[in-house]
Amino acid sequence: MSAAMDITPATTTVELPRFGSFTYTEEEVFRFPWGLPGFPALRHWLALTLPTQPNFVWLQSLDDLKVAIPTCDPYMVFESYDPKLPAYAVAALEIDDPGEFTLLCVMVATADAEEMTMNLMAPIVVNLRTRQARQVMLENSGYSMKESVPRKASGEAVGGAAQATAPQ
Amino acid sequence: MLVLSRKINQSIMVGDNVRIVVVAVDRDQVKLGIEAPRDIPVHRSEIYEEIQRTNQSAAAAPVPAEKVEAGKATLQPRKPTPKR
Repeated sequence: MSAAMDITPATTTVELPRFGSFTYTEEEVFRFPWGLPGFPALRHWLALTLPTQPNFVWLQSLDDLKVAIPTCDPYMVFESYDPKLPAYAVAALEIDDPGEFTLLCVMVATADAEEMTMNLMAPIVVNLRTRQARQVMLENSGYSMKESVPRKASGEAVGGAAQATAPQ
Repeated sequence: MLVLSRKINQSIMVGDNVRIVVVAVDRDQVKLGIEAPRDIPVHRSEIYEEIQRTNQSAAAAPVPAEKVEAGKATLQPRKPTPKR
């Protein structure tokens, strides 16, 4: 009824097992219309960051709050990473302008967090204009699904990931 | 599972837009040609399954004992690769 009600975007607060209480607006949600391999039903995600891991982007599912996946901008570690996106990704995500998308690569830590690997073969392509995203496969690209992240790089670029993912 | 017999150069339609052609058969190996719209990814199953496992391993990262307050991540557009 009142126009003033419409000025503030509606917020939702969720209690995240990993990060605690978090408040977001609908505009901040990333949509994965095709889900993610391994999580086909999870379509709504937030991109979160932690002060202890400034270079990590945690994808937090809103459809299953227990699910959060650590990712990283691949260029922070592998400057020469230069994947050719498959036509289906460009078409599906309606990428018109190379400046409107970014890539995130899934990070996996070993149980003791001694090592981390980055999935360069299947980056998540995010259209920043539409906020739609899809994980794509670069078959025959020569990129590895488990590219070892150099310890030095993981200390500098990935900043504190090891401690935060496996506190001992 | 639907099982169909096909000869070389015969094909199967999946829906209205996907055609799978038997291109060649050599002992225990079959070469298939796949015609699909641009927005449909086509991959070997084992690679897809490996990506599933990688994502699930990533999501299984241990939860820290103490919760750290998260903030909203700012995603930057991919910087174009400098021309060399």
